[in-house]
Amino acid sequence: MPAAVKQIMERPWIWAYVAAIGVWIATIIFTQGQGGGDLLTAALAFATFSVIVALGQMMVITLGPGNVDLSIPATMTLAGTVATKVMDTQDSMILVGFLLALAVGLGVGLFNYGLIRLLQIPPIIATLSSSFLFQSAAIWYNRGLRIKPPPQLADIATRDVFGLPLLAAAIILLAVVVHVVLHRTTYGRAVTAIGQNTRAAALAGINVDRVRFQTYIFCAVLAAVNGYFFSAFSGGAALNMGQAYLLNSIAVVVIGGTSVAGGFANVPGLWAAAMFLFLVEAMLNTFGLGAGIRLVLTGLIIVGVIIAAGGKRAER
Amino acid sequence: MKWINVALATGLLALAGGSAAADTSDKRIALSNNYAGNSWRQAMLRSWENVTGQAVTDGVVAAADAFTTAENQVTEQAAQIQNLILEGYDAIVLNAASPEGLNGAVKEACDAGITVVSFDGVVTEPCAWRIAVDFKQMGKDEVLYLAEKLPDGGNLLEIRGLAGVFVDDEISAGIHEGVAENPQFTIVGSVHGDWAQDVAQKAVAGILPSLPEIVGVVTQGGDGYGAAQAIKAAGRDMPVIVMGNRHDELTWWKEQKDANGYETMSVSIAPGVSTLAFWVARMILDGEEVPKDLTVPFLRIDQGNLEENLANTEAGGVANTLYSAEDAARVVAEAKGM
Repeated sequence: MPAAVKQIMERPWIWAYVAAIGVWIATIIFTQGQGGGDLLTAALAFATFSVIVALGQMMVITLGPGNVDLSIPATMTLAGTVATKVMDTQDSMILVGFLLALAVGLGVGLFNYGLIRLLQIPPIIATLSSSFLFQSAAIWYNRGLRIKPPPQLADIATRDVFGLPLLAAAIILLAVVVHVVLHRTTYGRAVTAIGQNTRAAALAGINVDRVRFQTYIFCAVLAAVNGYFFSAFSGGAALNMGQAYLLNSIAVVVIGGTSVAGGFANVPGLWAAAMFLFLVEAMLNTFGLGAGIRLVLTGLIIVGVIIAAGGKRAER
Repeated sequence: MKWINVALATGLLALAGGSAAADTSDKRIALSNNYAGNSWRQAMLRSWENVTGQAVTDGVVAAADAFTTAENQVTEQAAQIQNLILEGYDAIVLNAASPEGLNGAVKEACDAGITVVSFDGVVTEPCAWRIAVDFKQMGKDEVLYLAEKLPDGGNLLEIRGLAGVFVDDEISAGIHEGVAENPQFTIVGSVHGDWAQDVAQKAVAGILPSLPEIVGVVTQGGDGYGAAQAIKAAGRDMPVIVMGNRHDELTWWKEQKDANGYETMSVSIAPGVSTLAFWVARMILDGEEVPKDLTVPFLRIDQGNLEENLANTEAGGVANTLYSAEDAARVVAEAKGM
């Protein structure tokens, strides 16, 4: 085997790609080739939203044991609700809405890290409790009313060019940027170093507080951006719109080859994992299996992929 | 003192009841509700307030108080019912946390001479009345509508609710029964939308590429708008999507109707069913004979009354209707006729 191929096969994220492609092929064999392209387009469109939040969650998880952001769903809901209400279907307000969503994300990140740092609350509890506040704020602000996004924004969020959704293309670029930041900048290396050994990182002169602060802000802002685009994509914000993205964001990070114990992040795997999770559900639905069998198979397939990826790592 | 008053009142009433139709103006009815955490339940409680508040003002009954438990738990609601017995209500209208779990408390209430009318979440205890939803018929009605609208038949996509929940199985069974009787239709795909628009959108987007052309989408409510979004994104011709009375679904239907004459129908249960239960309880207190098992009428919206219903639907909520004493009498008469 050529060295380059061998090197790629050793990447932990390769298994997520193998799994995603395998599931896709299984689906189009079943449908005898019908709709393979459309299925990929749909998978890209929905995976985009998983990847946006997973990028933030990945950075937070990489900070080391105990670091996880559970306020992602509530942040999405709050940002989506505030933005759609303020935009009020006006195309001229699209940018204002986006800036507002960013501001919500910034506020959420500040609040979360304030709880973690100033009140010394463990992140898992801090983000869980703050999520109740954000969710309540969203309910109070809009009572679950679904306001449509501005038509131009809805068009941007749902449009695709030759089967590649515009938003997906943008987020692929974002993933590349995050990948470079993670591996080529002081900040990115600091995140990894803190996750591997916080004390050693601090002794090496890394400002641990500042890096953690930036990371929680980054995660919250991405969650808010996701809320903004997902409301545009699904025809308006709803109070339960973030619900699916809590476990999804963690699953995508882990299946994508990032270490759940921290200290080792993996951007390329996020896309594969997000597509894989969508395609598995689509495949089992296409096979027409009952709900019980579907859930069992989903669980088994995910465990299988993680074992395959983990087994490869152990050999090294 | 209070006890003596109640005893006196009851005694007097018994005397009055012997002669003519009993007067209910001194009767007190309580609503025992297990949950208030979604828009449907909120609308249910508001409907109760509106209708019973007026009834109390008009002197139809003496009191109609609503009580909701905080945790949606059987033990909590059982304790609540025991309190209501002690407080001496004449009737308890009940939306139960469990079909069997409250039977003990309900039996105690019956033994204390209290009329118990359960609705929506009904109880199996034989001494109580039940105003139940015929979910199976609801599913079947969707297919019957499609059979009328699309005589040539075709392929259908089914969106189900939350897997493992009784309501999901019932509606789906009704849909499949309807399709069995109308073989011009075939269900070519089935996904779970969990009664949520975004879940439905994702599930439909995933199965759509593998499906042939579909002429209709049968749903369970809360999922029609998501299905429409997914089908639109896939660039397919819009099939007839049966809606479930949610505000966003009706709004979308109205837009399509105005833009291109889109036709469909929408069916669900009105949260105002609590007021139907109220009037039934009053009829029973009034000494009328009421069968133990009644059926909640569906609130069905068609092309003609879409605008009217949309105007009455609170933004973010579900289409509602308040029932009157006459409506209750009609439901009872229907049950007797069967």
